[in-house]
Amino acid sequence: MKPVPLILLLATVLLSSHIPHSVCRPRDLAMFDGHGYKSQLDEVLLKAGDNAVSYLIGEKILRYLQRNPRLQAGLHPQFPFEVTPLGSRGIGHLARSLPPLEEQRALEEGNSLEDLVEMTKRNNDPPISIDLTFHLLRNMIEMARIESQKEQAELNRKLKLISSLGRQPSSQQKKPFHIVSDL
Amino acid sequence: MEGTFREHLFFIVLCLSVLKGDTRYIEENDITPEGLYALLNSELKREIPETLIYSRPLRCLDMVAVEGQFTFTADRPQLSCAAFFIAEPNQVISVEYDSVDIDCRGGDFIKVFDGWVMKGEKFPSSQDHALPLMERYVDYCDSGTVRRTVWSSQNVAMLFFRIHTAGSSFTLTVRKPINPFPCNIISQTPEGSFTMIAELSLGHLNDFPIKRSIPGCAGAGDFVELLGGNGMDPSKMFPVADLCYNFNGPAQMKIGCDNTVVRMVSSGKFVNRVAFQYRLLDRQELQRIKVNSVEDFCFTG
Repeated sequence: MKPVPLILLLATVLLSSHIPHSVCRPRDLAMFDGHGYKSQLDEVLLKAGDNAVSYLIGEKILRYLQRNPRLQAGLHPQFPFEVTPLGSRGIGHLARSLPPLEEQRALEEGNSLEDLVEMTKRNNDPPISIDLTFHLLRNMIEMARIESQKEQAELNRKLKLISSLGRQPSSQQKKPFHIVSDL
Repeated sequence: MEGTFREHLFFIVLCLSVLKGDTRYIEENDITPEGLYALLNSELKREIPETLIYSRPLRCLDMVAVEGQFTFTADRPQLSCAAFFIAEPNQVISVEYDSVDIDCRGGDFIKVFDGWVMKGEKFPSSQDHALPLMERYVDYCDSGTVRRTVWSSQNVAMLFFRIHTAGSSFTLTVRKPINPFPCNIISQTPEGSFTMIAELSLGHLNDFPIKRSIPGCAGAGDFVELLGGNGMDPSKMFPVADLCYNFNGPAQMKIGCDNTVVRMVSSGKFVNRVAFQYRLLDRQELQRIKVNSVEDFCFTG
């Protein structure tokens, strides 16, 4: 076969092979929207999910509320809440429900929230975490260790029981095998 | 010519099979930790009689140091729960989901974390752990498979879970397979002794004493450091002492912090070994013992 028809055949085969379109599509079409940073925040919150981005944003919101106590009046009775990882939707609602800031503070708060948005985009590093004292943690370790030792002792006891049951003396003694030669 | 025609035909067949995708996937032939542990602990795959499997309910805040089956049932919505797992220094933790009845779409989750994290600080630190932070969280809701086993890289692991509806539950089986290469350890006991050995080099054994002319260990590839801090993350702790030369006599130090870490870094060129003992001090001793105590940066009185 001549090389040229071969190449044509190969090209046809390659071009006609099915490559799923989804492979080449950009992952997030919303990137191309020209909306303001509020929707950016929404996206970030949704992407971040239930993790400490919400923890951090929650803290920012809490501090903001503490600085503006009169705003707390219009909010859900659950506030002030303890800063635990809230659901992303919860935080989203919360962030959106906050009334627009006064001009003076708007810039500074806006900047810090913007920084947060940037930070989460740049570095998706939000650990879900827990807040305990090490004193409590050490006590818990001690209790768990005692539980483990008790269970190990219990297991040893059960295994010993099972193995002793398996060694029952046989009722029939095996007769020794004698070779008797009558020579 | 027939010879060339055959070659061309084979070439076309090869291209077709490439397009079909048979050769597009790279097989994972390297030993993954899961594979290694499964290999080393094949005896665990034997059916253990049910009476011998330890079983108890899991609490919303729990610490588990024992192998067994743990079931969490939500009697009311529980939005922030965590269970700590800790094993012996030469073991790792494996968590297997036996049955899970939660509403992933409703915001419920169960995440296994490879290490311990408290107040945002994690152990082992990012610089001492092979995986990036996001990969250390394994979310049950992300996995497509019904039954999954997650292994930790060291003797500690954690579970974070949230359940919105009363009545939802899940059951886990926790095992503690042996770790042939322990590296990052949290000790279960308030006192003890350890010897850390890094025999990473496959080459020769260097036995000459290393004397440093420069004070401090900056730039040394092999060193031991003693750290103290009130958080979980060793990379955020204060260095109390560091050693980068052979040292034979016993030396004692008092660290007035919540947590103390002995950290050995090895370049791989030498066989390194450090042996140490430690003891938790009570308040009285902490105030009384003044020997070799670096200014008490943690202990505020």
